[in-house]
Amino acid sequence: MSTTTWHADPALLQAYVAGELDAVLSASLERHVERCPECRGAVRPLADGPLLDEAWAGVRERVESRPLPAAIRLAQRLGLREPSAVLLSAAASLRLAWLSSCLVALGFATVATLMSEDRLWPFLLVAPLIPVLGVAAAYGDADDPFEALAVTAPYGRTRLVLLRTVGVLVTTLPVAGLFGLFLPGPAWIAAAWFGPALAMVPVLMALASFIGPRMAGPLVTILWCGVVLGAVRELPPTWPIEATQQLVYVGLALVALAVLAARSVHTRKIGAAL
Amino acid sequence: METTDGQREDAVLLRAAADGDLAAVRELYDRHAPWLSARLMRRCNDREVVVDVVQDTFVAMWQDARKWRGQGDVAGWLWGIAFRRLVSRLRKRREVLLMPDWDAVGNGVLPAAEEQVLLGVEYGDLGAALRRLSPEFRAVVQACVLDGLTTREAGRLLGVRENTVKTRLHRAKAQLRTALADIELEAW
Repeated sequence: MSTTTWHADPALLQAYVAGELDAVLSASLERHVERCPECRGAVRPLADGPLLDEAWAGVRERVESRPLPAAIRLAQRLGLREPSAVLLSAAASLRLAWLSSCLVALGFATVATLMSEDRLWPFLLVAPLIPVLGVAAAYGDADDPFEALAVTAPYGRTRLVLLRTVGVLVTTLPVAGLFGLFLPGPAWIAAAWFGPALAMVPVLMALASFIGPRMAGPLVTILWCGVVLGAVRELPPTWPIEATQQLVYVGLALVALAVLAARSVHTRKIGAAL
Repeated sequence: METTDGQREDAVLLRAAADGDLAAVRELYDRHAPWLSARLMRRCNDREVVVDVVQDTFVAMWQDARKWRGQGDVAGWLWGIAFRRLVSRLRKRREVLLMPDWDAVGNGVLPAAEEQVLLGVEYGDLGAALRRLSPEFRAVVQACVLDGLTTREAGRLLGVRENTVKTRLHRAKAQLRTALADIELEAW
């Protein structure tokens, strides 16, 4: 039977909306309304206006808000909560531009390393700095965005700093590690540079809690360049990542963590300067 | 004619919505949110839940608009999204769920003749046959046939195992067939 010739009259729709129809009639009416644009329109004046306005406000907010980057939506699928996702998406060093420039720099360093016989320093110079600079640059070069975030984010400062650090490490380390596989020489080199790379992160955070990330980032960079370039002439190419030196990095990282802990007890805000 | 025009226009709006056109989303919302919310209110008596479900439904519509290939009509598609959201929202809160009251028949809202017309329009003699089913069978027919859930989803909604739903649906269909045959005989 055709559904376009018959239309529900307002009284019937009113009774339906008020819940006065029995189940069989409701089911029939619902079936009809689902397929009849005119009757759907006729329900509009009978519907709960405030309810519709409330729901529309939510829809509009979602449609108008900028979509999160694809990588962060992926992390959200894997269980990252929405506040964390928004926070990570605001981090400058997680943007595609930053990541791709890191890749280019590391790519050049890897090629430079491959072109010479036993030279390792171009790669060792660049690779460990990528995560640490990523952490330092996470929130751009303005002075106070972290403060604004720390106030508005739904959780504590410590967690904020850790979340961001982990975000940077997760995005940069795997790719940089992949480049490491192309390096000449023994396979352990591909993994050994993770030692200084990871150790420099707490050192940076400890320094930054005194002098701010704008100063701490370059300072750590200079120190690392000093270590790598200082070893170029006289020492074997793998010197900066050999076992003894690794122990020194671990020691430095532990000291830095202790300083951070002491600072956070003292000032109650470890991420103050980051 | 009107129906096909309306549908085509819904599909056009949906395509515009996929490209981020807020006005198209609004137009679709104005067309479909009223009946959708009224129908959801017949299934759930918690207003806040209905607000959330309507909101989620239209956000999902906007997100999935690109994937929509014009299969079926937009209204049925939206109801599918909305009712599934409602069922999964209510899995833990059964007290706000309204199961249609199949036994409260004809409380005088409609004149009998009008009632017959409405039943005839959509289901023919099926309406009368539906009334003869036992309550569990009607609940299964309501969930699977009228509201379009899968047997698994219906099981979740009704709090019974999927196999139970399948069995009941099978028997209900058999009973409906017999009832329809009886009604035709009576009409003779």
